[in-house]
Amino acid sequence: MLLRCILAENRKLHGAAIWLVFLIVPMLSALYGTFNFLQNLELLDFDWYNLWTQHTLFYTLFFFAPMVGVYAAYLWRLEHLGHNWNLIMSAPVHRSYLFVAKFLVVAKMTLLTQGWVFLLYLAAGKLWARLPGWPPAQIILWLLRGVLGSLGVIAFELLLAMVIRSFAVPVLVGLAGGVSGMLAVSKGLSLLWPFALMQAGMNANRKEDMLGGQHLPFVLACLVWAGIFLAVAALLLRARDVRAE
Amino acid sequence: MTNIIETHDLCKIYGSHAAVEHLDLVVPQGSVYGFIGPNGAGKSTTMKMLLGLIHPTQGTVQLLGQPMNDRNRLSILRHTGSLIESPAGYAHLTAQENLQIVADLKQVPRKDIDRVLEIVHLREYRRRKVGQYSLGMRQRLGIAQALLGSPELLILDEPTNGLDPAGIQEMRSLIAEMPSSCGATVLISSHLLSELEMIVDRVGVINNGRLLFQGPLDQLRRHSRGDILLETLDPDRARQVLLANRVRVRDGNSPQCLILPALTDAPLAELVRRLADQGAGVVGVTRRTKTLEEIFLSLTEHGEEVG
Repeated sequence: MLLRCILAENRKLHGAAIWLVFLIVPMLSALYGTFNFLQNLELLDFDWYNLWTQHTLFYTLFFFAPMVGVYAAYLWRLEHLGHNWNLIMSAPVHRSYLFVAKFLVVAKMTLLTQGWVFLLYLAAGKLWARLPGWPPAQIILWLLRGVLGSLGVIAFELLLAMVIRSFAVPVLVGLAGGVSGMLAVSKGLSLLWPFALMQAGMNANRKEDMLGGQHLPFVLACLVWAGIFLAVAALLLRARDVRAE
Repeated sequence: MTNIIETHDLCKIYGSHAAVEHLDLVVPQGSVYGFIGPNGAGKSTTMKMLLGLIHPTQGTVQLLGQPMNDRNRLSILRHTGSLIESPAGYAHLTAQENLQIVADLKQVPRKDIDRVLEIVHLREYRRRKVGQYSLGMRQRLGIAQALLGSPELLILDEPTNGLDPAGIQEMRSLIAEMPSSCGATVLISSHLLSELEMIVDRVGVINNGRLLFQGPLDQLRRHSRGDILLETLDPDRARQVLLANRVRVRDGNSPQCLILPALTDAPLAELVRRLADQGAGVVGVTRRTKTLEEIFLSLTEHGEEVG
């Protein structure tokens, strides 16, 4: 039954405007990051790690969480428009699966975004900055950890987009979340704030591994945050009356 | 006859406003049930409660022989198709893709999409984006979504809203055929009785959340006895006689015509005899039959309940 809900959610993304955001926003981030890297070579070493610090500085601070917000807001906007709430809520599937399917689809889009971010990082390093050699394999681990770190934010943004019928709110919250995440990381509170988990996972603006091999607490924190928001969403879907506009 | 829908004492209260009050709806299997009421009467709220989209404040809902609750919800919805408020759909997708989404959710084979597209005459427009559809086409797509999986029960909320006369006619024929072609029971709402009287066999009239009438359409028609038009040679004398007999009188279209309220046969015959005896010169007595629309209006305006 969950698989059917995921199939339906995937189908809604066919030819959707959201793919433009998926393509363009990481390009902006890569442009800023590479430009900044090349302008500050007197302060930075000319290597792949330093290029990563500049790419992630912009990406995690200004783009990553708002993009998740855009994905979440878009998927719920499809239901808010017209009378699609009536359609999905009268379908013979568990109400919570409707939310979980959106959660998994946004997670999939986030994974694809991370892949695109890596390709841009690679292209910027090889073709623009002309860095020697290849990026360290660790970068791929950090990108995957970024997906894991985003799970709590995905669930939170989806919850927000489900309750508040505004496209802008989840995006603005994502923007504020990016900044608050950086502050939480700098205070050593990475595990206590979902937006910080994204940055800690990505090892944003750092050359050394921020998690220092402490992966289990990180994974648990990601799952707990995601679990909390998924549970709240399931409760709301079960208890609230459907209001379609 | 088995009832496909039964509600008992169904209520929905928002703060101090009762949207639906003590509703006992009974829809027999195989019928096309017209749920009639003015805008804001409580039709959509009732239909949403039937589908579990809105939680009743009080009362019970039984669909397809099972109580609508968390345990039975999925098995009931598997056999129910609905179109609530206005047609849903994703504007950036084609009709085919929209139907595939519903087919995925209902676990219906893809080949059923062709069948329903054929029924609603949208087969040749299946690859057109729904955002480019006219309202009529979207309504038909909404019906197609409801028909996927050959449901036993169809709940259609004002499916003719916004359609032109040709579209209304087409939708009416489509719905009227459903019990015979698909074996489905249909609950259909409208704010116009005239729109449904040709296709429904049972009617429920609701206003201000209360069910004012429920029963066969013929029974509603029996309430069609209207005013009486009395034509006399001496209207002044006739007026005196009528007032003496405590009958309210209004002026008619011409000086010789008076309008009397609805009377049953025996009192009317007695009144005519007295008028004749008193020399009023009765020339003609005509019963004015109410149209169904007038009955509906009198029910909803006065809020009277009819058994």
